[in-house]
Amino acid sequence: MAYDVSNPLAGEFDLGRAGPLAPVWLATLRVVVGWWFFHAGVTKLIESGLHFTAGPSYLQGMGDTVLGPVAVWMATTIPGFVEAIVPLAETLIGLALIVGALVRLASVGGAIFMAFFWVGNAEFGHGVVNGDLMGLLLFVTLLVLGAGRYLGLDAVLERLALVENHPRLKHLLG
Amino acid sequence: MTDTIDKAAMALSSTLLLAGIVVLGAVETLDGVPYGAAPTTNEAGEVIAQPGIDPAVRTGLVLAGLAVLGLWGLYRVAVPATGAEHRTAADTTAETQ
Repeated sequence: MAYDVSNPLAGEFDLGRAGPLAPVWLATLRVVVGWWFFHAGVTKLIESGLHFTAGPSYLQGMGDTVLGPVAVWMATTIPGFVEAIVPLAETLIGLALIVGALVRLASVGGAIFMAFFWVGNAEFGHGVVNGDLMGLLLFVTLLVLGAGRYLGLDAVLERLALVENHPRLKHLLG
Repeated sequence: MTDTIDKAAMALSSTLLLAGIVVLGAVETLDGVPYGAAPTTNEAGEVIAQPGIDPAVRTGLVLAGLAVLGLWGLYRVAVPATGAEHRTAADTTAETQ
């Protein structure tokens, strides 16, 4: 809750007011986003295995964008890694979100992917606010809200002795 | 000190995000055709108008805003917020009662 008496626009704010639908909606959103990435990844795995050659080509084509230096470096220096990590990470990020495990870690990964997609697709025919940016913001939202605790395995994982003994691990969980 | 860092990080992050999307979006709209971030082409596919603001500037601002948020998150992992441990302890106590 935040309350600032000096600013009439920054009044009382409490997410608890959202009611019982909020956690269910967050869990639903998390699973939908998870399925989106899982489907994108697993179909690449089925078709190309760990040799998704379109990955380095895509990054190579990002030369004129704001992420160009990083993208071109990855495409030219570690193409084999890119070919493997794209389908693998998409699949694992999707699975993690679907079951609600390591949601914050998975959301960071998803946000990085979407940043590359948003900047790389870069046609912006309908403006910079497009589906890719919305996907990026969805991952950031799941990260900020820690959506794995709602009907997700993170609620169980955070009670494990390993996590209890190393509380900073909770930052990776939802 | 940490409270100041929290506020500064959130303010900077939000400012960069909104500047890249909303403020420069409004500037681009007021600048005339094309109203979006893509060039306007004629039926032959030739570019007849370029966006007033390079999309790289706008995407760069947004990504910089998210990077600030990410760096602040890493800082918070390294330096937990004052009271966070107390809240956790209180929650645990409440759950066990």
